Amino acid sequence: MKKQFNRRDFLKLASLLPLGMAAPRLFQTVQQGQAKNVLVIVFDAWSAYNISLYGYERDTTPNINRLAQRAIRYHNHYAGGDYTTPGTATLLTGVLPWKHRAMLANEEVDEYYTSRNLFSALPNHYRIAYTHNNWANTFLKQFIHDLDEYIATEKLMLASYDNIIKSLFRNDEDLASVGWARNMKISEEGYSYSLLLSHLYEDLQKKKVENLLDLFPRGLPTTGSDNGFLVEQAVGHITARLQAISQPFAGYFHFLPPHYPYHTSKEFTDTFLHDKYKPIEKPVDIFGTHGNKNYPLKRRIYDEYILYCDQEFGRLYNTLEKSGLLDNTYVVLTSDHGESFERGLIAHNIDALYQPVIRIPLMVFEPGRTEGMDVYDNTSAVDIVPTLAHITGASSPDWTEGVVLPPFSTETPDRNINIVRGYHLKDGHDPLTIASLIQVRENYKLHYYYGYDETPGDGVVRLFDVKADPEEMNDLAKVKPETVAEMLSELKAMLKEADAPYRKS
Amino acid sequence: MIHSITSKYNKQGLWLLFLMSVFPQHLWTLIFAFRDISWLIDRTNVWDAIGNTSYGMVYAFFESLLIFGILALLGLLTPSRWEVNRRVAFLTLLLFITSIWGMVSQLLYLWNIWLPFPLMQFIASTGRPLVMLYLFSLAVVVPTVSFPVFAFVRWNKTLPTLLDFMDRLTTLSMLYLFFDVIGLIIVVIRNIS
Repeated sequence: MKKQFNRRDFLKLASLLPLGMAAPRLFQTVQQGQAKNVLVIVFDAWSAYNISLYGYERDTTPNINRLAQRAIRYHNHYAGGDYTTPGTATLLTGVLPWKHRAMLANEEVDEYYTSRNLFSALPNHYRIAYTHNNWANTFLKQFIHDLDEYIATEKLMLASYDNIIKSLFRNDEDLASVGWARNMKISEEGYSYSLLLSHLYEDLQKKKVENLLDLFPRGLPTTGSDNGFLVEQAVGHITARLQAISQPFAGYFHFLPPHYPYHTSKEFTDTFLHDKYKPIEKPVDIFGTHGNKNYPLKRRIYDEYILYCDQEFGRLYNTLEKSGLLDNTYVVLTSDHGESFERGLIAHNIDALYQPVIRIPLMVFEPGRTEGMDVYDNTSAVDIVPTLAHITGASSPDWTEGVVLPPFSTETPDRNINIVRGYHLKDGHDPLTIASLIQVRENYKLHYYYGYDETPGDGVVRLFDVKADPEEMNDLAKVKPETVAEMLSELKAMLKEADAPYRKS
Repeated sequence: MIHSITSKYNKQGLWLLFLMSVFPQHLWTLIFAFRDISWLIDRTNVWDAIGNTSYGMVYAFFESLLIFGILALLGLLTPSRWEVNRRVAFLTLLLFITSIWGMVSQLLYLWNIWLPFPLMQFIASTGRPLVMLYLFSLAVVVPTVSFPVFAFVRWNKTLPTLLDFMDRLTTLSMLYLFFDVIGLIIVVIRNIS
């Protein structure tokens, strides 16, 4: 007998519909029951040189020192490049600038990598990302189809007129903001294109944030313009989101501090004013463009800004720990590049790649780990993507130049670390005509600079034993010509291979 | 309001006032936008450097419009018996004085020129440094405004000289407006590409 499908049956079936829709997700969660969350925390322009955990004389990271007693601490970790664009692109793609081709300011990665990145490597995680840094944000927007939740930069900024400009010129927001800043913000460079309105504008801006200025005597943390932000606000938002979203999640959060301008909070202002720390005197480099005059002051206020980062990381960590999330979450703490206060080389985006600008912190807080571990192997930003894929059980990304970091891989990686700062003629599809290339092999670090006015002919080569001479004071290039020849030849071969697709026959 | 404006201006007068509003702002924008070009080319590329100048021109155009509006309203306060040309010349004079002070304030900072140390010491020693600073500023600024205004009101030759000068500047202002149009086109191209 044919059973009639009546209204009651229909309603019963309909009531099961939401369950049916949720089933794939539930099934996925059950399947990935063992997959851990990962959280990548990046503080921008944060040099390992200035971190007490790595031997800096000033105690710049008291909270991190305490927390890192249970972390894996990488002591010889290198960025892929020397400023946001190459450094962040390397971290997010797992390949060096000569492959991803994001080398000039705010340049995008090669199209090939738009679907090969940290987020695409973790396809079964809920992927969420945020950055204060506009140039890093360029990459998040490139990878947006691999993100489940993209938090716009403006969302965690204090109200600013920059946001109006950005929404008006959505397709060209970076340059429109630069134009706006050059037009209206006298305080940035001491002049503005606007003769009259800029004065009114600055007064208005000051009024808007005057109640916060007491907390930040050097000015609010900014992205270099009036677009102020508080790391506290970002940490609050992020910790709330992480507790709300589904697991496993993969979060990438890239905070701008301690990047210039070094506006630390009141609590840390002048902390190191009367300490006896004296940086080592170093000769001015051929690329040095500044005298040594202001270095101690700039270094001190940078160090005081690191204290603010340290405090906020501590707060973020403690909140997540209390929520229980850290029982199931790997936390990776690192940077995109370092910062320099020596040899006439100020800050970053500089041609000479001494340790302060490329050696960056890396710590991994592993769930369940009760004792710390020190790793002295040379490691690179390209290793982050394969390592995270490995520890979460995702399939190994075959495009990266990196390896799985120890101790997650039992094999000791037999490879050299390379760092690339390059210029090409027009865009990423031209060979590198001018470049600063670094290779680190065991304790030796080779510097190779070519194409610059300062390095005529075949370029300049230097060799340092960075284990015995971490300050890079004694050039061994003439003492160890065989080592130089070997490393240089390998570096040139790698560059040739990377540039091959872009050479015109 | 419209009646007040039409009673104090004619079309040519308003156009001349607008062109005069364009001049100082655009001159300054161009000088500093060109100053930034090499810096931008070093950091990004030529297209971005051109883009930055274009944004500068577009912003300058809107600032000029705003200044024009404020000046036109300010002109309503001038005596009704004044001819339109006299009114426009007077407003232009005020604008130029203000603009020169705007330029000076930025150049002092740019060239790192500060008050002489003994003067700063003296101001500090008075016990009311802020009041003294305001008084000092007034003492410098007031003559630079009052003398040209006095000359404008009292000396018959000032008006024709000023009008002659303004007439020459109109050509430059027209050229700047042409740059604005090019700037606007570049901004549009950048935003649709």
